[in-house]
Amino acid sequence: MKYILMMQFPLGDWKTKSIEAWPPQDVKAHMNFLRRFNKELSDAGEFVRTEGLGGPEQMKIVRAGKDGTPAITDGPFPESKEVLAGYWIIDVETPQRAFELAARASAAPGPGGVPLNMPIEVRPVMMSSASGEI
Amino acid sequence: MKYMLMMNTPRDGYAKYMSWPKPLIAANTDFMRAFAGKLAASGELVSAMGLASPVQAKLVRAGGDGKPVTDGVFPETKEFLAGYWIVQVGSAERAYAIAAEASTAPGMGDSPLMIEVREVMSGPPKDSR
Repeated sequence: MKYILMMQFPLGDWKTKSIEAWPPQDVKAHMNFLRRFNKELSDAGEFVRTEGLGGPEQMKIVRAGKDGTPAITDGPFPESKEVLAGYWIIDVETPQRAFELAARASAAPGPGGVPLNMPIEVRPVMMSSASGEI
Repeated sequence: MKYMLMMNTPRDGYAKYMSWPKPLIAANTDFMRAFAGKLAASGELVSAMGLASPVQAKLVRAGGDGKPVTDGVFPETKEFLAGYWIVQVGSAERAYAIAAEASTAPGMGDSPLMIEVREVMSGPPKDSR
């Protein structure tokens, strides 16, 4: 079964507490953790994909105008409290295994090397495609 | 450049979708299939995923012993990710045009589909490598 592990970051803290505001050595320790974690997932055959997203200041909300041309507004939605910072797609046997991996990701080192213990949203994936076939 | 186009849904969005008239659900599914096929054919589709209902979502943190502590999702969250496309395109404008097309997926028309567009980072921030 495929699951998505979503790193949800408090939107109000983005400017002051996101990785962009960390000292370089802490960023390095975090990235080393991620590389190790991804390699372990890969070696175990559980890795499907991971991606880190640009900050909320670059986020746009798009819908089609009447003539089909894009109507673009600056994101995020005013009512948003969290922002997706990045995610993993994993392929595992049980939800428990997905939760274990989410806990590992949650404990990634943050400022001063202290575990972030950030909340990870875990959701089953219903369908996936890289070929256009759904 | 890679962009993530995210489709959001309210908490009861999946239940509402299932209550649509059958032909409308079929039209929506056909649209999604044709849309993904077109993006794949143009070489712009990297990945597309549809997620299960947020009713099944869990929030997980590491406890003191590193074991997972699971909980329901944030009670105050109004919008949940329903699915997304990752596209590889030459410009932000192209990503917005694709998002606009995605937003024309057939629906009940009661709440217009809005697509959140985020750039995917190509590497870690700053010089941390």
